[in-house]
Amino acid sequence: MSSRKKVLLKVIILGDSGVGKTSLMNQFVNKKFSNQYKATIGADFLTKEVIVDDRIVTMQIWDTAGQERFQSLGVAFYRGADCCVLVFDVTAPNTFKSLESWRDEFLIQASPRAPENFPFVILGNKVDLDNRAVSAKRAQQWCQSKNDIPYFETSAKEAVNVELAFQTIARNALAQETEAELYNEFPDQIKLNANDNNRNRDGDNCAC
Amino acid sequence: MSCSSSEDVPDQCKDLFTQDGVLLKACIGRPIIDLNSIGMLCIVQNVDGGKCIEWRPNDLITIDSDSQDQEWAVVHTIGRRQRTLSGNMTSDYAAARARIIRIQIDELKTFRMTRNNQQMQFSTKPGVWQNTFYFQHGNAEIFLASLKNYVKTVKTRHDRNTYVVVEPTNEAQALNRSFAELDIFTENTTDVVWNLVSNFKQRPYETTLEAFSKLTDIVYYGNEGLNGKRDVSDEVADLLSKSMSALEDNTSVTKSDDYEVISVKPTLPPRPCIPRGAPLSTEKWEGLLDPDGRILEVDGVRQLIFRGGVAHSIRHSVWKYLLDYHPWSYTHAKIKSLQKKRTEEYFTMKLQWKSMTEKQESRFSEYRERKSLVEKDVNRTDRTHPFFAGDDNPNLVTLEDILMTYVMYNFDLGYVQGMSDILAPLLLLLGNEVDTFWCFVGFMEKIASNFDMDQAGMKQQLLNLQLLLSFASPDLAKHLASKDSGNMYFCFRWLLVWFKREFSHRDIMRLWEVLWTGLPCANFHLIISVAILDAEKDVLISGDYGFTEILKHVNDLSMCLDVDKILSTAEGIYHQIISAPHLTDQIRIILGIPTVGGRPEPEPSSSEETNGKTDEQSDMEEVMYQIGLDMNF
Repeated sequence: MSSRKKVLLKVIILGDSGVGKTSLMNQFVNKKFSNQYKATIGADFLTKEVIVDDRIVTMQIWDTAGQERFQSLGVAFYRGADCCVLVFDVTAPNTFKSLESWRDEFLIQASPRAPENFPFVILGNKVDLDNRAVSAKRAQQWCQSKNDIPYFETSAKEAVNVELAFQTIARNALAQETEAELYNEFPDQIKLNANDNNRNRDGDNCAC
Repeated sequence: MSCSSSEDVPDQCKDLFTQDGVLLKACIGRPIIDLNSIGMLCIVQNVDGGKCIEWRPNDLITIDSDSQDQEWAVVHTIGRRQRTLSGNMTSDYAAARARIIRIQIDELKTFRMTRNNQQMQFSTKPGVWQNTFYFQHGNAEIFLASLKNYVKTVKTRHDRNTYVVVEPTNEAQALNRSFAELDIFTENTTDVVWNLVSNFKQRPYETTLEAFSKLTDIVYYGNEGLNGKRDVSDEVADLLSKSMSALEDNTSVTKSDDYEVISVKPTLPPRPCIPRGAPLSTEKWEGLLDPDGRILEVDGVRQLIFRGGVAHSIRHSVWKYLLDYHPWSYTHAKIKSLQKKRTEEYFTMKLQWKSMTEKQESRFSEYRERKSLVEKDVNRTDRTHPFFAGDDNPNLVTLEDILMTYVMYNFDLGYVQGMSDILAPLLLLLGNEVDTFWCFVGFMEKIASNFDMDQAGMKQQLLNLQLLLSFASPDLAKHLASKDSGNMYFCFRWLLVWFKREFSHRDIMRLWEVLWTGLPCANFHLIISVAILDAEKDVLISGDYGFTEILKHVNDLSMCLDVDKILSTAEGIYHQIISAPHLTDQIRIILGIPTVGGRPEPEPSSSEETNGKTDEQSDMEEVMYQIGLDMNF
């Protein structure tokens, strides 16, 4: 593929409230941790340039509110995602159980072209804490059962595996992107056709 | 009343107020040819100090070539400031002058507003409406407010829109004086004011109104219009070119197959610059309490707070009223017993969850989830503020206790993210756990729909914001829509917690107390949003910001906003909206003002935002006037 083209990868981080989505994003982008991050309201994103297989790509990482009722608005930001990162807290089993519904909800709302191949990455966060309640094995098994989703055990606080996880996220997202480009052989022509169709339809309306 | 008067206008006559674009609809004793002509309605101070309402036909005050289109008539005052007419204009001028209508204010008996406040009728003897004027630009409300500075009126019982003049000028001045003596309104000294309600303040009226009429000049001619030293022909050329460019700016051309449709883009009236007032001071607040501790002038207090906020030293008292914890009409004794009752109630509810055993909890997942969410959020609420900073901070425990007790108070709603943000400044200010809880309850009453499970309240607000923005700042709304941002989701945080994340604690206290007054209309927080966005309009449009840039830019405004400036701008926008000629019922409903067809229908999903104050708010100016009367003791 052309390496001249600037590549932007849109990554969505999802997971229950308080699992560490904002912290993971900030650790990866700013190499900082704070336990004073406020609960995310609405949505925000950070960008970071990374090098994947000698290509410079810009990752745009989206962070949304975790409480369930805010998801109906969060979906506005799912569109065009190249990878979805699902986060749970290894000390809170409920947050692990929610992964399934987060994944389903994302697939429904973002409706990617090839849902079965859409790249997800699972992060079990807060491994620095002593009161672990979800074992690595259990998490691993679940990931395997879901079409072998890559799984990382992370600590945003101690910067454990964060870089590695996001490298994988970028790589998988890029692979997805490249595939999409291959499918889309003549994007310009398709665009023109779409416009023509619209114009015709408008014309019809006017005539009525 | 001297309906037609052709005597020369003395040079010393002074325009106190002018309103352009006023159509003469009916006038007893006038030839039919005079009707439906457009002119300027003014309040004029005569040389003897008396005042009159004067309507001047545009023929007299315009130099507008052959334009037949009243909408685009270029208005130019010749009457007072400049009398350098020459040549072929004089005969027309004399004829036009004969058509001036003058109503002496001390002869005025009654007047009324009709047709959605766009029409005013005047009478000098009961039973006959001698003059009817139609206000093409906006409505007659600003004129009415100005007129009320010079006459004392009461509304008739049978018709809310009919005013009977009680006493003219002198009495009204006495009323003003009594205000000054009472000194309950802010001591603002800025003289550029265009605000209906501020007419009741003690600042000199004539300065205000003069500024107002100057504003009209500036709008039409720029500053040159004021000195009047230019050659008439220069001015004609200039005005013509300006009117042409105005036409270009304000019209849009749509081409269809057979026709070229030229439509006039509705524009808002100019935005008045409304200065903020001083905060409600301790002395004023104490002066407003009657000997038993009741507050009688509730609307006056609200108005003061709307204008300038509350001095920090008395916030802890005043907020309890604004947040409906303490009823305004309660005496000290009643408040004391209320507090006792509420304290007991609070601790009963607190005990309900405090006494829950671990085993109970283990079988109560819904409760457990809420508790865990509260704990998580409390630990990340305003931790950089000294009041909440540090490990084992007892104030965090209080935050948690209040939020958990609120879960017991309203289990259906429970805890929703954002609530800890709402609570923190209240606790910071009030300190006391029980007071903070009940004030929090009051605040939540105002914004409960923000936290709906299905988010219907938030969706409705985002939609309403989009509608208001389309009306007040159409270019920006268009840009946002073209960038996939028409859903206004980037304003979600603003609206959910009423801008808590955008301002420092000090500023959010000011903003909230102003919003709690419910003035000047329902959903003023949406106009605040419009004001912030409008200030960023140029950046967003000229930078061609897309979906992500818009969101980033808006998020990054946090802690970079000037609360007083925004409040002032928002109030200006409010006046622009309500005096816009093309104001729609859709917008009226959002702002809780009566629709053209009658009373607004309650909005199904946001009825709580209006707090049932629709009538009161829509007639705020009137209310303020009534307070003026009431306070004339």
